[in-house]
Formats: sequence, C-alpha cells, structure tokens
Amino acid sequence: MSTSENKRSIIVGVFVFLAIVILLAGIFTLGGQQKRFMESIAVRAVFDDVAGLRAGNNVWFSGVKIGTIKTINLYGDSQVEVVMNIEQRVQEYIRKDALARISSESFIGNKNIVIDGGTQQAPPVSDGDVLKAVNPLNTDDLMETLQKNNQNLVAITGDFKELSGKIVRGEGTVGAIMTDSTLANDLRTMVANLQQTSRSTVNASKALSQFTSKLNTPGGLANELMTDKEVFEQLKTSMAQLEEATASANEITENLRTTTNRLNNNNNAVGVLLNDQEFAKQLQSTMQNLETSTQKFDQNMQALQNNFLLRGFFRKQAKEEAKRLEQQPVQPVQQVQPQDTIRQQRQDTLQQKQ
Amino acid sequence: MKGLTGFQPVEMDSSNKNTENTRSRRYVISKRLDRIFLELGHVFAFIARFFKEVWFPPYEIKEVINQCYEIGVRSLPLISLTGFIIGIVFTNQSRPSLADFGATALLPALISVAIVRAMGPLVTALIAAGRVASGIGAELGSMRVTEQIDAMEVSATNPFKFLVVSRVLASTLMIPALTMYTTLVSLLGGYLNVHQNEQTTLITFFYQVFEAITFLDIAASSVKSVIFGFTIGMVGCYKGYNSSKGTEGVGKAANSSVVTAMFLIFIEELLIMQVINALRVF
Repeated sequence: MSTSENKRSIIVGVFVFLAIVILLAGIFTLGGQQKRFMESIAVRAVFDDVAGLRAGNNVWFSGVKIGTIKTINLYGDSQVEVVMNIEQRVQEYIRKDALARISSESFIGNKNIVIDGGTQQAPPVSDGDVLKAVNPLNTDDLMETLQKNNQNLVAITGDFKELSGKIVRGEGTVGAIMTDSTLANDLRTMVANLQQTSRSTVNASKALSQFTSKLNTPGGLANELMTDKEVFEQLKTSMAQLEEATASANEITENLRTTTNRLNNNNNAVGVLLNDQEFAKQLQSTMQNLETSTQKFDQNMQALQNNFLLRGFFRKQAKEEAKRLEQQPVQPVQQVQPQDTIRQQRQDTLQQKQ
Repeated sequence: MKGLTGFQPVEMDSSNKNTENTRSRRYVISKRLDRIFLELGHVFAFIARFFKEVWFPPYEIKEVINQCYEIGVRSLPLISLTGFIIGIVFTNQSRPSLADFGATALLPALISVAIVRAMGPLVTALIAAGRVASGIGAELGSMRVTEQIDAMEVSATNPFKFLVVSRVLASTLMIPALTMYTTLVSLLGGYLNVHQNEQTTLITFFYQVFEAITFLDIAASSVKSVIFGFTIGMVGCYKGYNSSKGTEGVGKAANSSVVTAMFLIFIEELLIMQVINALRVF
C-alpha cells in the first residue's frame, strides 16, 4: 500500500471516527438530559384526562426535572394510567402522599407532569407506587367559567346602566347631588367649611407643636420636670414627707377629737368645769367668797403689820430682804400679770362656755 | 442493457393482423409504459445484483476507502459550509414568526427539530446528489463509453464489484457521516445567530436543542441518511453503468443521476417521514 493510500485511509478513518463521536455525543447528551441512563423507579398516577401528555415528556418536582413519562395507557372505564420513570436519587424527597398534576412547560409548550406536596410524616415513594392525581383544568372548563364571568359582567353593566340613568334623571341621593344646584351649593359651602376647619386644625396643630417644642426646650420647668432625675427624686422625698406629715396631722386630729369628746363629757374634772353650770355657779360663788376673804385677810395682815407685837418682825424681814437684794446682781424684772387680769380672763371663759 | 438483465419488450406474432393491430400488440401495455416498467425491472435487477455481490469476496476494500475519501472527505468542506449557512439563514428567517408570539426563546428547539429531523439529512443528501451522484454517473458513463468496463469484464475483473459495489458502499457509509457533520455545523450556525440576537449561551442553546428531540429523531436521521447515501450511490452507478454510447451519453448520465437522485431523495424523505410519524405515536 502506497503512502498516499495510507494517508487516505487514515483520513477516512479519522473522518468516520469523528462522525461516530458526534453521533455518540448526541446520543449520550440526549440520554443524559432525558435521564435515560440513570437508575430509576417507576411510579404511576391515574388521571381522568391527560390533556395531550405524551410518552417521553418530562416529570418535574419542585422545579427540577427528575424523570420522564414512560407509558400512557387507558385504564378502568375512561381513565388514563401514566407510568413515570423517576430518578432513584430523588426518591427520598418524594413522599407517598405527593400529588401529581398535569402542567404545561409554557403557554404553547409541551405538557408535563409536576409532582408537588407530600408531607414529612409520609414515607418516601417506592417503585410501583400510585400517586394521587390532580386532574387538570381543560379548555372547556375554562370557557365555562369564562362564560359565567361574561354573564356576571352583563348583569353588572346592566345594573350600572340603570344606576347611571337614575343619576342622570336626578333620582336618588346621588342623582340629587349631581343635579340639584342648592345641594351642590350646600356641598360647596360644606367643603369650604371643611377647608376652613382643616386650616384651623393646621394652625392649632402648629400652635400645639410650638407649645410642645417649648415644653421640650432645655432649662424649662416642664423639661426639667420631665428630664431632671434629681428633681424627681426630691419631689418623691417631699411627697413621702408630706404623707408622713399628713399621717401625723391625722393622728393629732384624732387625739384632739378624743380630747374634745372628753371635754364635752361631765365625767371628768375639766368636763365638769367646762360643762356643769351648777358647778360653775358654785365655783363663781366660791371665788367671790374667796375674794372677799382675801380682802378681809389683807386688811387683817395690814392690821397685824401695824400691831406693835409683830411690827419688829416685819421690819427685820424687810431689812433682810433689802440686804439680799443688794448682794444679788440686778435681774430684769419679770412682768407679772396682775391678779385682776387673770381673774377677768377666767370669768370671760366661763361666760363663753355658758 | 440487453445482456445485463435479459429483459426485452415482448414481440407479438402479427402475421394474420392488420398493421395497426400488429403495432398495438407489439407492447404489453403501451410503448411508453412498457419502457418505464422495463427500466424499473432493470433498476431492481441492478439493486439485487448489488446485494448479491456485496457479501461475497473479493472485497474491494482499497477501492471502498478511495471512494470514501472522494465522497466523504472531499465533500466535507462544501457540505459543512452549506450546512453552516443554512443554520444561520433558517434561524434568521424563523425568528420573525416566533417573535410575533414573543417566543424567540423557542428558537433553539425549532432549529433543533428542523435540522435534526429533516434538514441535516436532506441538505447533505441533496448536496451529495449534486456532487457525488453526478461524479459517479459521469465517471462510470465515460468508462462505459470508452469501453473500459467491457475491458474489465474481458480481463476477468468483476467491474460491478469493483466499480458499483465499492461506490455504493462508500456512499452509504459516508452520507450518514456527512449528515452528522452537517447537523453539528448547522446547529453551530443557528447558535451563532441566536447568540448574536438573543445572547443565549452555548450550554443553554444545546440544552434546549436536546430538550426538543428524542432518540427516535436521531435514529430516524441516521436511517434516513443511510437510505439517501445508498440511493445516491445506486442512482449514480446505475446511470453511469448503463449509459448509452457516445460522449452525449456521459453528460446525460451525469445529469440524469443528479435529477433522479434528488427526486428519489424527496420521495424517500416523504415516505420515511410518514413511517417515523407513525412510529412516534407508539
């Protein structure tokens, strides 16, 4: 074999090899993407209607492609059994109570099956399990709902037409508002008043704002009261002292009341002195007698002083007194109330009591 | 032709008939229809001979490799360039239709389906029909005209095995290989256009490409390209091997090889598509 023939053979070999590589790469990429070469389990779901789902379409779980539709068979009376191949590695995430529903990859895209839900309490799905199927909304159902919506819309627009007709004719409250000029003027005035009120409110709130800002000015009374802790402590102490004082005052008042009650009774000396009129008369009489006796005693004493027997004694006593006074330092003389003044006050008190 | 297949128009005995009756009874159906069916008979005999010869030695490996080089490797630049341009043009022309639906994101899927299922094998086959079938037809036609084939027969070499079997085999093997290249290059052309307009990444593009196709598509594409390759080789060889005498016959053989091969490719494409769609249901 010549060199050129060898070269040709090698080139042809490389050419074919590369073509086979392209083919195999395509097959393996496709297989990998369609999860054909992975270990899988088969789970089933029975639908009333598969809405054009086909074998080979995708199975999604939480937005991740986890398998493909293996077969679609008619089942029971008019149901459809769909067998899905699901990757074994996602088996633990899909629970036995998961729901299978038919969805679409896009508005005009292929149909697929979406598995969602499932609770942690349920065990993982296993090979051959049947998942609960959620039947899809088909176009007829959608159209039926849409028809109901249309009918409602017609009814609503009919009502609205009637309502707007009444408004135009001036019927009803809204109609009157729309057509009656007096009401409109009143409304306008009301709005103007409301505007005025709102303006006043704005001014008031401004004034309030200024006032509160003044209250918040540092150094002010309110601010000091609000912020100075020392003043607060002092106030607290003062209040406690005041409470104590009040308690003492209460006690004093109580004592006074008890004393007063006693004074009002005749079962004690002062009460008798204050309340018993007979005793008062007797006492007055006694006092008058005592006064008379005292005057007479004074006269007797003067007579004794002038008596020659005792005159010496009194002179001696006067001299000793004078001597003692000379020996003692001079002391301020205490103003002694005259005995007459005391007596007079006592009489006045007795009269008041009577 | 006569010696090759043994098929001949049936001549009727016309001794007791008038001239008109005699003329009409010389053919089974009519002159034209008889010729068509005769041609068909020749074709099936030619194909049958190929399948008969291909299994038995001597195997012309060297000639097969030579033809593989001529048909496959030397066609690669032309077919790759054509495929690349087709990928770009097809993508660009499809965009407005999808843009009307706001679905330009589906362009990779559309390109994938179109190229893998149909355009890859078809474009490869058509280009190969133009280049390979005409080449084989002209080459074998000139060999027939210059009596080289007769000379081979005389020198105890099987010209059918050496010329026809090797070329048909090479064509049958190389067209699928070329289809793989064309498909890849067309997809790359499509990617270039999609990336330029939609800024789609290469990974996303090929992910969407493989999302849209199935194993059946790849298998169908491969089977189709094998059938196209066989057709191209067979038509070129048949037309050249059975070309009429004279230089005019060479041109005629080359021309009719291209036309017939292309026509048959379209017919086959139609039939295979129907079969694949029937299979797709299951």
